[in-house]
Amino acid sequence: MKITDLKCAIIANSPVIRITTDQGITGWSQIETPKPYVKPQVLDLRDWIVGQDPRDVERVMRRIRVRGGFKPFGSAVSAIEHALWDIAGKAAGVPVFRLLGGKVRDQVRTYRTLYQAEVPGGADHTPAGYRRWAEYGKSLPGEFRLFKLPTAFHSSMVQDIPDYFYGDVQRDAPFPYPHKGVMTKEGMDHLVACITAAREGLGAGYNTAVDAGPGFMPLDVLRLARAVEHLHLLWIEDSVTGDYSPYVNPDVYRDIAYQTTTPIHTGEQIYLRQNYKALIESHAVNVIGPDPCDVGGLAEMKWVAEHADLHGIAIAPHGTANGILGLAALVQVCATLPDNFIAFEYPARFEPFWYDITDGFDGMPVKGGLIDVPDRPGLGVDLRPKKAKKYLTDGDSTFFD
Amino acid sequence: MKITDVKCAVIGGNPIVRIVTDEGLSGYGEAEQYKPYLRPYILQFRDALIGQDPTDVERCMTRIRQRGAFKPYGAAVSVIEHALWDVAGKAAGVPVYKLLGGKVRDKVRTYNGSLRVPMGGCNPEHYAADCKRMMALPQGFTLIKQGIGFHSQQKNLPGFYYGTPDPSPFHGALDSGMLTERGLNHMIDCVIAMKEVLGDSVGLALDCGPGWMPSDAIRFARAVEKYNLAWLEDMLTGDYVPYVNADVYRDLTQSTSTPIHTGEQIYLRQNFKDLIERRAVDVVGPDPADVGGIAELKWIAEYAHLHGILMAPHGTGNGLLGLAALVQVCATLPPNFIAFEYPSGSQPWWYDIVDGLPDKIVENGEITVWDRPGMGVELNPERTKPYLLPEDADFFA
Repeated sequence: MKITDLKCAIIANSPVIRITTDQGITGWSQIETPKPYVKPQVLDLRDWIVGQDPRDVERVMRRIRVRGGFKPFGSAVSAIEHALWDIAGKAAGVPVFRLLGGKVRDQVRTYRTLYQAEVPGGADHTPAGYRRWAEYGKSLPGEFRLFKLPTAFHSSMVQDIPDYFYGDVQRDAPFPYPHKGVMTKEGMDHLVACITAAREGLGAGYNTAVDAGPGFMPLDVLRLARAVEHLHLLWIEDSVTGDYSPYVNPDVYRDIAYQTTTPIHTGEQIYLRQNYKALIESHAVNVIGPDPCDVGGLAEMKWVAEHADLHGIAIAPHGTANGILGLAALVQVCATLPDNFIAFEYPARFEPFWYDITDGFDGMPVKGGLIDVPDRPGLGVDLRPKKAKKYLTDGDSTFFD
Repeated sequence: MKITDVKCAVIGGNPIVRIVTDEGLSGYGEAEQYKPYLRPYILQFRDALIGQDPTDVERCMTRIRQRGAFKPYGAAVSVIEHALWDVAGKAAGVPVYKLLGGKVRDKVRTYNGSLRVPMGGCNPEHYAADCKRMMALPQGFTLIKQGIGFHSQQKNLPGFYYGTPDPSPFHGALDSGMLTERGLNHMIDCVIAMKEVLGDSVGLALDCGPGWMPSDAIRFARAVEKYNLAWLEDMLTGDYVPYVNADVYRDLTQSTSTPIHTGEQIYLRQNFKDLIERRAVDVVGPDPADVGGIAELKWIAEYAHLHGILMAPHGTGNGLLGLAALVQVCATLPPNFIAFEYPSGSQPWWYDIVDGLPDKIVENGEITVWDRPGMGVELNPERTKPYLLPEDADFFA
């Protein structure tokens, strides 16, 4: 079997990848919704995979892996890998998890990140707001038990609360997370009160993680982590570095993680196992959160998960914006991960029409915070060209040809 | 002063960024000729920069630095930085080196670099002949670099290593594997042949990989200790490898007196941290057009100096505007500076379309630091226009 083409179309701001073969099998995958600008990078890789056998996934990946980098530059390479697995699974007539070593669980746990804008009536960055946030999460379809809340430097709390930190508020920053600095006592007290309100609002049987940075100075992370130890949070995510940081600084994380019982988490922006090496081998965090759409692919994420397990580190993969095809990929790989797997981040940010333009999921697939691992060949979700056509962006009209 | 536009043209293969301001000044930066595909990456920063004061370089950089990565994705951010410094220098009426703390030398050493012709083979006699050619160059280089091993065609020699050469066009950690004894001896023979020509009058550095297994790297580095090479570059990781693996380099570096060098693909100081603080190499070689800019390169040079590590910046594909950026920053570096890699125009006509270069650029292996404001080398719009691609016709508008 040979790859005949690699195409990329933007559907609802989300780059969708289509790899075609000379045997009529098509591979589908998706890149995070807010990254339409990655399309030229995807297409730059076309000539280097056309003519290759897509079922020899690693052989194809060896040709293009060096053209990835930290988020957002790992997404093209990663999503191409997903589409290759989709083809390899369909060609063998098996779900992708069988090609990754087989599943070790029949249901995978997922957690739900909650966004300010989706809460009816809004949820501001106050203790009362966070309590509403928690109540909203519990009311969602799917009966999610685990949540994640944006806080501190990972939210507009920095702007909304006066004198939150000793730095300038950036109101016109072109990219997210422009703030960094030492927090005031009032800022820290406010943050702890908000997290406490959310945790108490959730009550027994539920739990939450907090997305916090990047932007913290390490001592503030430690102050926060110790102040909330009694709440037994899932984890504090991306405090020092994180989302879109083009580096890791594992030694700084290590200083924090060794001094608190609140689990410390990072990793969504990191590309390849080599860049996880120091984080894992020095036990610099308690939980890692690679995104299969950024880390280099499903097989790369599984390898990193096993490396983490070897060192007693848990894994909670990132994926909030990965779309319906990214959801399919997360389910496949998470079914194969070792017991250090906690839950993956549910890709909640896609519109309902995606269920109509794809085959695979019959509506929102979460029940009791779990998803049944499907048995369809490949990744298990396929675009339906006739239905999907009307959502194509100008210039992509030949995507399904 | 405010930025009113950020433009990009691909001129002779080199992506050129132009920062346009409301006061009539423009700043230019140039990326490697191997990266014409960078145009959309550069233009992606247009909205983030319009309206900002280009003379507050660091403030502009804090807005875009997050969106770079290891080579090739650090280049867009880096060359925008060069263009900002060009504007800032022109606005202040001073050469850029004065804004970087002032020059500490009047001449900067450069090594070859980009002036090379196909060798016709990769046996000892080919290397010897090529070294003779380089010694005869009018630039009078006092240091040259040659490619061997996985950084050359030697990987295709029969029985060179226990692996199969990879046909991928993207190099970087693709051709990799354990060397045969014959392969190792072949490279040592090439070193002997080159040193017979060069003697101790011209220094020799070797670009080696990436792709070596650490035990081979130690064997080779030890075997050539008596030839006093300037350095062995990128043996384990390097060009286009999206990671560093500093701990593996440390084992190699601690095992030999031959200086070990890496760093051209690395983006930002944070990614040099292990390499420098663990003294995992003897020489670092960031490229100002990939590492995040010239101010970033200077900071890393001082960081390396603090740890007793030398600095030999990469730059072979950076073109003539990239040459100017290298001259400006290298004039300001601490004494751990050895020499930078000499770039040249990717097309012969590149020398006709810039103003500011001296007639003889390199003499006795050195370049005299020029004093024109900004980077000191600039595109001449009238003479450049005939070489603009149709889609870049309004580049100077």
